[in-house]
Amino acid sequence: MKAVITVLTEQVKYFYLLRRLSWYEVKSKNKMTYLGLGWELINPGIQIAIYWFIFGYGIRKGEGIDGDPFFQWMLAGIIVWFFFNPAIIESSKSIYQRVKMLSKMNFPMSLIPNMVIFSKFYSHIGLLLLVILILNISGYPISIYYLQLPLFIIATYLFIFALSLITSTLNTFIRDLQMLLQAVLRMLLYMTPILWATFSLPEWIQSMMKINPLYYLVEGYRAALLGKGWYFLANPGYSLYFWGVTLFLLIVGSSLHVKFRRRFIDFI
Amino acid sequence: METSISVRNVTKRHKLYAGTSEKLKDIFLRKDYGEDFYALKGISFEAKAGEVIGFVGINGAGKSTLSNIIAGILPETSGEVEVNGEVSLIAVSSGLKANLTGRENIELKCLMLGFSKREIEKLEPGIIEFAELDQFIDQPVKSYSSGMKSRLGFAISVTIDPDIIIIDEALSVGDKAFSEKAFHKMMEFKKAGKTIIFVSHSTKQMKKFTDKVLWLEFGRVREFGPTKEILPKYDAFIEEYKAMTKIEKENYRRQGQSLPI
Repeated sequence: MKAVITVLTEQVKYFYLLRRLSWYEVKSKNKMTYLGLGWELINPGIQIAIYWFIFGYGIRKGEGIDGDPFFQWMLAGIIVWFFFNPAIIESSKSIYQRVKMLSKMNFPMSLIPNMVIFSKFYSHIGLLLLVILILNISGYPISIYYLQLPLFIIATYLFIFALSLITSTLNTFIRDLQMLLQAVLRMLLYMTPILWATFSLPEWIQSMMKINPLYYLVEGYRAALLGKGWYFLANPGYSLYFWGVTLFLLIVGSSLHVKFRRRFIDFI
Repeated sequence: METSISVRNVTKRHKLYAGTSEKLKDIFLRKDYGEDFYALKGISFEAKAGEVIGFVGINGAGKSTLSNIIAGILPETSGEVEVNGEVSLIAVSSGLKANLTGRENIELKCLMLGFSKREIEKLEPGIIEFAELDQFIDQPVKSYSSGMKSRLGFAISVTIDPDIIIIDEALSVGDKAFSEKAFHKMMEFKKAGKTIIFVSHSTKQMKKFTDKVLWLEFGRVREFGPTKEILPKYDAFIEEYKAMTKIEKENYRRQGQSLPI
């Protein structure tokens, strides 16, 4: 618990630096392309188009899900994935890629994964605004349920941060984990109700799938954006489970990080 | 004079693992795995504020390891390092981001060193001028020549005005004119009373520049004292060492490394 407080206070104390550094992160990534930042939107756009074509038009034959058209239903959920996936992959690599350059700097090491996550957060917000715009045009106006959106954004951010503390630390020792992580993530896209709904499955399989905390986030975003009710209140047990898992990951991640951070450079 | 750097009985152990599984066991289990290799075997010395100390020694003596530990980049295995003031390590490879322009790299580096936006704005022109990059400053660093890169790195490191400067073979960057300029800058620092650690193979620069010399050999202090006394001895040793045959050199090394801590 002490490690959690250490790590979180560092994030608050160096927030200005975090913001500035993550902006350079965005800049350096998009520097060499003509469309630059535009790719942060074009890339997801292309993926959404192909998923809609395969799953919505091809497999479901344009049929809706639970009364919602497939396109809007997918859009409201996939937005979490477009934040989660790149943020986890990049932040897990962040420490071993940068430790050589950064080890003698006047800020704590725990900023490094967060700096990468924050750089992805910019495009998440941009994408979110775009999705909201599309939903508003296509028959899903802003509703009172939007009020729970900040809660789910914070939940997603914290979950990613907690997980990245673990993966970025372990990755400095065992580079294979990055490979494993990418494989797991590829699987996770299909184990979460992003591209297909799980209602038709037996009850117990659905419960099994809910072990995946991403399930909670995707459904939460969806409830907020499509105006489907107060998800976190309607599912109090599941909310408790999600926050329990996130706290657990945060404790494990912070302890690991604080324990090993002085020695990262020795393991590179 | 107050003490600027105090190093007491510092050792640095590297682990040599037979395989990856040994490395994993060593990290996560309590028992020790892998073979120990000591790069430093108990180093002690002190530097007063304003002193210029040269590190000399043949390859593998531990010069770079020791300077990295003082700079706070590597953690020591045991012993104590006390440093009073801001340390800046100037090395040939300076960790610039290839995709960003020279100007952006300056901003980023200064930001990471804890300068505010306004301070960076003030420092920037000086750095650009010192690095002699002119119109290239707004080009991505990956298009720079190696000389340009090290000039930029050097310019950033010296402009931030640290209290303690560690120079690891960096004065030989760029062409002769620039390395002279760099040398002048160091002389300025010396006059300003900054503590400087100077790691170099060039005994000529050592003689001109340093007050004291720390002679390292196989992770141990062989001699430490005024440059006038130690440097001639080191010079004599180097001549002797050069004259050895390959096998003699190898024996010498093996003997030195096998000494206990």
